[in-house]
Amino acid sequence: MSKHACELNFLSRSDGSALYSIGNTVALASVNGPGEVKKFNRLYNRAYLEVSYSPSTGQSMIGERALESVITRTVEQVILVHLHPRTAVNVTIQEMQSDGLELSTSVNAACLSLLDAGVQMKSTFAAVTCCLTPSSTILIEPTAAEMKESVAVATFVLDGQALNVLSAHQEGCLNAENFNACLKACQTAAKDVFNFYRQALEKKYHTCNEIS
Amino acid sequence: MSQEVAGVEVLKVVLPGDEVLQYNPDRNKERIFIGPGLRWEDNVIRATRPGLLKKTLKRLYYVDSHQKRYIPQKREFVIGTVLKKKGDNYIIDIGASEQATISYLSFENASKKTKKEMKVGDLIFGQLLVANKDMEPELVCIDTYDRAVGMGPLPEGGLLFNVSLHVARLIVNPKNSFLLTISKMFKYTIVVGFNGRIWVKAKKQGEMVAIMNCILMLEVMTLEEANENALRVLSSFSQHNSKEATC
Repeated sequence: MSKHACELNFLSRSDGSALYSIGNTVALASVNGPGEVKKFNRLYNRAYLEVSYSPSTGQSMIGERALESVITRTVEQVILVHLHPRTAVNVTIQEMQSDGLELSTSVNAACLSLLDAGVQMKSTFAAVTCCLTPSSTILIEPTAAEMKESVAVATFVLDGQALNVLSAHQEGCLNAENFNACLKACQTAAKDVFNFYRQALEKKYHTCNEIS
Repeated sequence: MSQEVAGVEVLKVVLPGDEVLQYNPDRNKERIFIGPGLRWEDNVIRATRPGLLKKTLKRLYYVDSHQKRYIPQKREFVIGTVLKKKGDNYIIDIGASEQATISYLSFENASKKTKKEMKVGDLIFGQLLVANKDMEPELVCIDTYDRAVGMGPLPEGGLLFNVSLHVARLIVNPKNSFLLTISKMFKYTIVVGFNGRIWVKAKKQGEMVAIMNCILMLEVMTLEEANENALRVLSSFSQHNSKEATC
């Protein structure tokens, strides 16, 4: 499994930000909110969540819109939106470097930046990508080269409490048995991601004041 | 792994969704109080914010998190900027998702004939009378007995800057002597808003900037480190100033 690394509060002007990487894929996420919302997007009983994703090279097109909608629908399940009606939470993700793991790196960077900003959530969430090789082995967090050789690639976003599935994204052909095997493998790998989040936040809170 | 500081016990670092304790009102005889950052659902208390879980002597549990975005809370003192006048109210920006209003009558000795005049861009220190998720926040500059008690428009010639919310709470806490440390070097006036805005006024502009930099140090260091560094920075600043005077 590749190495995870992150730096919290990377941007001084955002409410929360995180620079996060899995192996060679790096993403920078920034959160602003709950703040002012345009009249068009104002919802009377909950916060409006907007996710914006920019690729490292080229223009933002339909593939990026699809990625944004997956991340929006995942994050909406976790943030306590009913605590902040008539506000907006903006999550902006910039892809810095890509080695195939855009979706999981972006989702995890978004989670870390939401934790840095202190937005109220039901639980943390983590995305794990795995691929199924032609010889039916499951590789967790593969490189772009490994994904090219694989039969199918699946990404699962799991919640921090019971490791339930928040969203699943799959490319290629997976029968029911392989799908379940991939899910189990991702659930095991997700525990490491949650431990990583815990270590990052313990570091943040222990280098600062404890008297308040 | 818990420490006790002046009656507040620091328990551990929690993440959203972490179980703090099980509480069933039918079974648990002792009453407990739940503060910010915690939620009670299905007889389990879970954290909703990442931060340090703390417990006071009176069995109040809360999560102390480090945030920059201000969410209005009733009875908090905030510093706002006047944006415009709308009918009988002023519209004030307090750094929250919505702008606050203050009636011209909410000042000491104000009446329908003697209105308080404020220009756009003036700073005002007031208390939030109404602040919840469903309503627009409202400020007042008087207490229940119609006295100003230090609230009202701030005088000209100071310096306003933003800090994280936990830094503002830290320096206001009477148990922390950080502001006293700075006062050993310079005479200054300071107004701290719980919305992360701090206003400082001293004799010279250079002194105000030096004080601002000392307070900003608290964002990245612990209180002890900041105390040492602050004295060093301020003493080198005043040495530099006295050198200029003799030249």
